[in-house]
Amino acid sequence: MPDPDQPLPPDPVVELYKQGVDRTLLRQNLRRSVDERILNLMDLQRLAEELRRAGQRSRDHRR
Amino acid sequence: MTDFKQLLHLLSTSKVDFILVGGMAATVHGATRLTQDLDIVYSRSHANLERLAAALAPYQPYLRGAPLGLPFRWDAATLERGLNFTLTTSLGDLDLLGEITGGGGYEDLVSHSSPIEVFGETCRCLDLPALIQVKRAAGRPRDLEVLAELEALLEERRRLDQL
Repeated sequence: MPDPDQPLPPDPVVELYKQGVDRTLLRQNLRRSVDERILNLMDLQRLAEELRRAGQRSRDHRR
Repeated sequence: MTDFKQLLHLLSTSKVDFILVGGMAATVHGATRLTQDLDIVYSRSHANLERLAAALAPYQPYLRGAPLGLPFRWDAATLERGLNFTLTTSLGDLDLLGEITGGGGYEDLVSHSSPIEVFGETCRCLDLPALIQVKRAAGRPRDLEVLAELEALLEERRRLDQL
């Protein structure tokens, strides 16, 4: 692969998307250890799964 | 739900040669996005295929999305015959990648990865600049937001390095 340390020219579409990135969340995450980042991801995954199940229960209840 | 902690522990303690890529690599570098599966690029050496097959065997690996009952034998010979496998296991979803677009295989990527300590075990993770490069090479529209976050992370890390 090409040398990744040679910076790629900016992609204008990505630059546009970059304006919407919440950097406060990134800075907060960078202060965490790798283990904490992964555990947070697993918590988020559990929450998403619970919300999905709650949505399903709600749809079932309305039928 | 994928038990990332158990999967990483399993692969590391089984001495499988692999590199974290994809969403989990992004998480390791500080990304905030939710990812559902573990993506790894694995070494295609015969010994490693044997280790990988033995490590996952107790966790019912099966082709994700394939109809139940499809004849699928999980062993090193199957790994040898294929390249990229999207699997479901009892520990969660796992993508085994022999190669990735824009990056190649394990041997091509290993010099662009670094050892990281995760839950007391050491494994390799694709470096952030290389992760950005392979995401760009993949050219998938759904990766645009991911790329924006990864590039912002790289800028933030460089900013921190200058402090």
